[in-house]
Amino acid sequence: MTALRVLAKDLKLHARDARFLATLSLFSLSLVLILSVAFGPLFRDPAREASATLWAALFFAGVLGLTRALDLESESGGGEALRLTGADPFSVYAGKATANFLLMGALWVLLLPCASVFFDIGSLRVLPAVAGVAVLTLIGYAAWGTLFAALARGLKARELLLSILLFPTLIPLWIGAVKLTHSLWAEGSIDAVRDWVKIMVVVDVLGVALAAWLYEAIQEAEE
Amino acid sequence: MTLAARDIEKRFEHRVVLRRASLEIHPGEIVLLRGANGSGKTTFARILATTLGADAGEVTLDGRPVRRALSASRRAIGFSGHRPLLYLGLTPIENLEFFGRLAGVPDARARGARLLSRFGLEEFSAIPMEHFSRGMLQRVGLSRALLPEPRVLILDEPYAGLDDQGSETLNALLLEARGRGAATLLVSHDREHMVSGLARTCVLRDGAVEVPA
Repeated sequence: MTALRVLAKDLKLHARDARFLATLSLFSLSLVLILSVAFGPLFRDPAREASATLWAALFFAGVLGLTRALDLESESGGGEALRLTGADPFSVYAGKATANFLLMGALWVLLLPCASVFFDIGSLRVLPAVAGVAVLTLIGYAAWGTLFAALARGLKARELLLSILLFPTLIPLWIGAVKLTHSLWAEGSIDAVRDWVKIMVVVDVLGVALAAWLYEAIQEAEE
Repeated sequence: MTLAARDIEKRFEHRVVLRRASLEIHPGEIVLLRGANGSGKTTFARILATTLGADAGEVTLDGRPVRRALSASRRAIGFSGHRPLLYLGLTPIENLEFFGRLAGVPDARARGARLLSRFGLEEFSAIPMEHFSRGMLQRVGLSRALLPEPRVLILDEPYAGLDDQGSETLNALLLEARGRGAATLLVSHDREHMVSGLARTCVLRDGAVEVPA
């Protein structure tokens, strides 16, 4: 129940922050637009360029979401009050990671049709598989991002530290997402790049396992 | 429940803030901790409330170190600090319900509504708090600390931002908490509004707690 309550609280806070949602949407849409203009108007490999653009926009915009989630915890001490309830730290982590996952999922839903239109790519037939790739990628992104956001909390250069920690860690996830999405859009299957699924599952599991092990210590060390 | 701090030491980089600070508060006792600005009162209060670790020394509840059973200790302590310790994007009643339920309070919403009503915030209970005044946030923050009816209360500058009516309400709630046997520590400069019937006053000076003669 703790995880569900934390999830509901985070989603409510995000939903009420229209300025943040507008910034996040505009930033990510601008990235897709700029990259589509840079690659176009005659695309050499639209499936590859579209998948690279989609995942670049999602990964960069996702940092805005993680930073905002961090600010919500620290700006008036809500995160400190949360610790003082004595709630199970991993449940708190699970709630926050799920909220970050859903936020990124909503962003994916917004960006996917834009990337399809700008690059004239994609078909409904492979949509479930493309969505599966997104789920696999965003689980890892949220798992690691929530963990690193907790680590960066309270530091002056937290946005910088978050990016420095997050992007190198997520390189396998990033490459895997691009390769799998490209393969689905270009060939309609992931047969040629199937091994990336295993790598991405390992990254996802590692992120959650590390959080289960370290989150409480990170939470207590933040002050 | 008896809250005890023994030989607490804390330094921030090269500045020593607390030097073997000790204090014991018994059930039903209200203790006022005073001290000059920068004397370490807030640091001491935060160490007692488990939001900050000590470099040396030990905090216990009924003789058991709080750090050994952190979750249970935190559920026994109600803490209000300089910051509101709330989510400003939520309404007061949503905050109290959220924190109350996480702390295991069964009727958190109803209890929260009663506290908000006593602090005169009924009509603001369903409005997000981004534009609340300092005094309104203080009332909601105090409601959060008092909501689970904790056996130990640690309130840092609880009268800051409160008007006369708010101070009276707080004093009434503190006397009720004392009636339930709560051990209460007040860190405050404001003696004008202070609850009557204080058991004792302590002063934090040179990093240690002194009892004035």
